[in-house]
Amino acid sequence: MNARALALAAGFALAGLPLAASSVDLGNLFNTVKQAVKPADQDQEAEIGRDAAATLLGATKPIHEAEVQQYVNRIGLWVAMHSDRPDLPWRFAVLDSDDIDAFAAPGGYVFITRGLLLRMHNEAELAGVLGHEISHVVLKHHLNELMRAARLDLLGQAASYEMQQQGHDTKVLDKVAGASRTLYSKGLDKDDEFDADRFGVVLAARAGYDPYGLLSVLQTLESVDPKSSSMQLLMATHPSPADRIAALSASMKSGRMERFGNQPEGQGRFERIVKKLVLPAQAGKDDDEDDKEKK
Amino acid sequence: MRRWSIGIAVLLLVLGAVHAASTSTAQTVVAGNLTSGPYSDASIVAPVPNAAQVTIIERQGGWYHVRLDSGKDGWLPMTSIRLNSTSTGSGWGTSWFSLFQSGRSGASGSTATTGVRGLNTGDIQNAKPDPKAVAELDQWQMKPAQAQAYAERLPLTAKPDIAYIPKVKP
Repeated sequence: MNARALALAAGFALAGLPLAASSVDLGNLFNTVKQAVKPADQDQEAEIGRDAAATLLGATKPIHEAEVQQYVNRIGLWVAMHSDRPDLPWRFAVLDSDDIDAFAAPGGYVFITRGLLLRMHNEAELAGVLGHEISHVVLKHHLNELMRAARLDLLGQAASYEMQQQGHDTKVLDKVAGASRTLYSKGLDKDDEFDADRFGVVLAARAGYDPYGLLSVLQTLESVDPKSSSMQLLMATHPSPADRIAALSASMKSGRMERFGNQPEGQGRFERIVKKLVLPAQAGKDDDEDDKEKK
Repeated sequence: MRRWSIGIAVLLLVLGAVHAASTSTAQTVVAGNLTSGPYSDASIVAPVPNAAQVTIIERQGGWYHVRLDSGKDGWLPMTSIRLNSTSTGSGWGTSWFSLFQSGRSGASGSTATTGVRGLNTGDIQNAKPDPKAVAELDQWQMKPAQAQAYAERLPLTAKPDIAYIPKVKP
């Protein structure tokens, strides 16, 4: 793609012109534009992602329930397999916090708090939230921001070389950790969040789920007192749930997502899993029932 | 006898929590029509004014199945209602979070001994990187074939050709 074509593509993408959604793959278009601006080496992304994830896991740890973690990894990977980066080493985890939030880090890390998981009603809602986070990774939102903030693009070849030689570079870790503390406490650009919402619902729909799960979660979040401590970090880092609902529902209507409204929600399977957190004594008693579920 | 009465007390507590967790209300944010099914050309059951209180029964796609105060039930578009606000965000339907909280306080016998685990801006700003915790994530990682088999069990049918949706002004 030459410079003029790229500028044209960027213009269309930024202006959000109502091009026929079926004929233009907006996701690829965004990706192409961002990569052209800041080319990112795959190894470097993996390293930056590990360091960003390490910073997040320095603030809160994964929960211990292996069945719940494996469940979220199955659902998350299935959704990610329908993204433009299906081959990343995707890893998902539920974090030991009762507050409401979810995070993504470059290279394929996705985290969701127990507090958010337990405020959902079914697997389609989980798929929608994971789809949102997966979209941040696919669109390289955090990667570009961390590289800019940590000035890793200027370190360039030197950083990459050190990573390859040593496997792990403490200088890079320090820089990425510093940039991550700022990024994950202040949040991304609001437009990145709106984009992740509308890409996320498409990934959930492609994976076969009812695509209204994310909208349903946003309605639940809208009902929580925005001043409550459980919403502090989310509200500090994201547009309001009401603004996200308005933007997402308009996009979904325009994209005629109601065609997929009767795809499964996976309520029974979701409930059997979250019961293991609510009533730990029952854990492990009914694993085989997953095989029987039909919708 | 004493143990028996404690058992009853715990049962009542749990039933109370389940009841509180499953009664949910919302209100309409626009005037519209209650319809007989979750689609726009379904027949109209009754007109519904703005700010009407409704109870959510279930959601299907972009629609909620609701019951009006009058006892009539039918369907409303998802975005025509807003859930009534609560301190914990119990939403509609079963609140697993409320059950989790009551289960936790029940296990210890006191809410004071088990604190809510928070995660706020300060926790992130003071985070000390934990690379070991990242390496441990690999133990739960799935292979594509495992994810696919689990999806097929629901069953989910992949539709990889669904196009991305455009950005539009609300």
